[in-house]
Amino acid sequence: MISLGLRTLFVKEVRRFLRVPGQTLLSPLVTTTLYFVVFGYSLGARLADVEGVPYARFIVPGLVTLGVVTNAYLNSASSLFVMKLQGTMVDLLVSPLSYGEVLAGFLGAAVVRGVLVGGVMWLVAGAFGGFELAHPLAAVALLVLVAVVFAALGVVTAIWASTFEQVNFFPTFFITPLTFLGGVFYSIEMLPPALRRLTALNPIFYMVDGVRFGMLGISDAAPWVGAAMLVVLAAISVGGAYAMLRSGYKLRG
Amino acid sequence: MEPVVEIRGVRKQFGGLTALERVDLEIRAGEIFALLGPNGAGKTTLISIIAGLLRATEGEVRVLGKDVVRDYRHTRRAIGLVPQEINFDPFFTVEETLRIQAGYFGVELREERLVEILRALDLLGKRTVNSRALSGGMKRRLLIGKALVHDPKVLFLDEPTAGVDVELRRSLWEYVRTLRARGTTVVLTTHYLEEAEELADRVGVIDRGRLLALEGKDELLRRHGAKTLRLVLDVPRAEVPPSLAALGGKLEEGGAAVAVEVPAGEGFGPVLRAAAAAGLGVKDVETRRTTLEDVFVRLLAGGQARGGR
Repeated sequence: MISLGLRTLFVKEVRRFLRVPGQTLLSPLVTTTLYFVVFGYSLGARLADVEGVPYARFIVPGLVTLGVVTNAYLNSASSLFVMKLQGTMVDLLVSPLSYGEVLAGFLGAAVVRGVLVGGVMWLVAGAFGGFELAHPLAAVALLVLVAVVFAALGVVTAIWASTFEQVNFFPTFFITPLTFLGGVFYSIEMLPPALRRLTALNPIFYMVDGVRFGMLGISDAAPWVGAAMLVVLAAISVGGAYAMLRSGYKLRG
Repeated sequence: MEPVVEIRGVRKQFGGLTALERVDLEIRAGEIFALLGPNGAGKTTLISIIAGLLRATEGEVRVLGKDVVRDYRHTRRAIGLVPQEINFDPFFTVEETLRIQAGYFGVELREERLVEILRALDLLGKRTVNSRALSGGMKRRLLIGKALVHDPKVLFLDEPTAGVDVELRRSLWEYVRTLRARGTTVVLTTHYLEEAEELADRVGVIDRGRLLALEGKDELLRRHGAKTLRLVLDVPRAEVPPSLAALGGKLEEGGAAVAVEVPAGEGFGPVLRAAAAAGLGVKDVETRRTTLEDVFVRLLAGGQARGGR
């Protein structure tokens, strides 16, 4: 049974990002379109197929994953951090909402935004490279798990951060590099052995690879590896965010 | 009657700073309790601990008999907090803000209740206005509205009228009285001693984390207060007549007046008789009662002298 308190927080968080669609939905749409125009359409035509898939189609799962990762993270991180800055966090802290409900409200809305943006990107990508969903359930389940992981990391960062710079630290120095080096634009088969071994340590590689299996039916690693890793990462990140909320760290003095 | 709030041995440490030192306090059902103290005395820290915004380093706080940490869901439903700092969510209108806050407390805000709160806080005309577009005073009133949506048993007002104009302050006081009449217990911290004097049934004076006084406002004024009779003389005098000097009379305005202070519970009869016996020509008579502010200043001075500051 979902309480009225949790429903209120979730709906409020969803309405918050829907009220600024230019920033939350349109902006990723423009970025994706640019990626496809540059990498898929213009360069892709000159590139050979990757693992038997045209390049413009090969990059779709990675870009969709990137969109989900970024938007899920940004939604929970920026919303919670701005609430801290504006002082509206007090409204939640004095409420009888349980720690689990507060976390679920933020994660739920962030997952909705992440998956919504991912879906829109997939539609745009489909317009360029054709629609394909080899294992739709696997693709959606993996993307939801990706969103949960990064939404929870957004909560952790927002609680810890004291400045906007610190909120942006994680996407700038971890998410973007690890995603770009995680096989969004190439198959690791194309890398020299040393770099391939390094990529094997990058958790985002398994996420992209798993989603690619879901969408295109091809993958570099076994798809269950990505799924298992996501479940473990989700448990760690959600558990960490819950523990922080429960401890009152940086929220309840 | 069981107290609404019980605070036992509460201590709060922020690193090396002790914000509260073993505070014991009970708030009674249906009273208006004013917590007075200078900036940094620990007023906000104390009510933040009760409302769950902060955790005590030591000690126990119970609201309606339940522990505020263990049974926080129960205690927070009973509490409404109006924080000192104005906050607002620029994404939502006045009505949405109130409905969201009610939702957090598991309450569907009925139309009549919404209108009642908006009307009482003079915000009815701003119902569909974005909270960003409200003036400072309106934003503060909206904070009060948010604290009332779930019909709390205890309302904490942290400096509720800071930056609010005189007329509005009066109307807020009136509303606080209405809430009390309906059975809501009200705890307020304030810098305006006039506010406490006007509203409070009981007063707690806090300084540097210690509770210096805790009693009914009237008793506090009677015990620590005094009243002064000032006689403006027709002919200035060089010294106080001995009969008035014996009662503690002092010359003022270069001998143009004599002032005698007597404890709040006593009459001016002996002073008037002494003045008549001394044959003083009196042009005017003024009386002045000690205000809560005088008592407050005196208590703080005493507390600081004991504390060695």
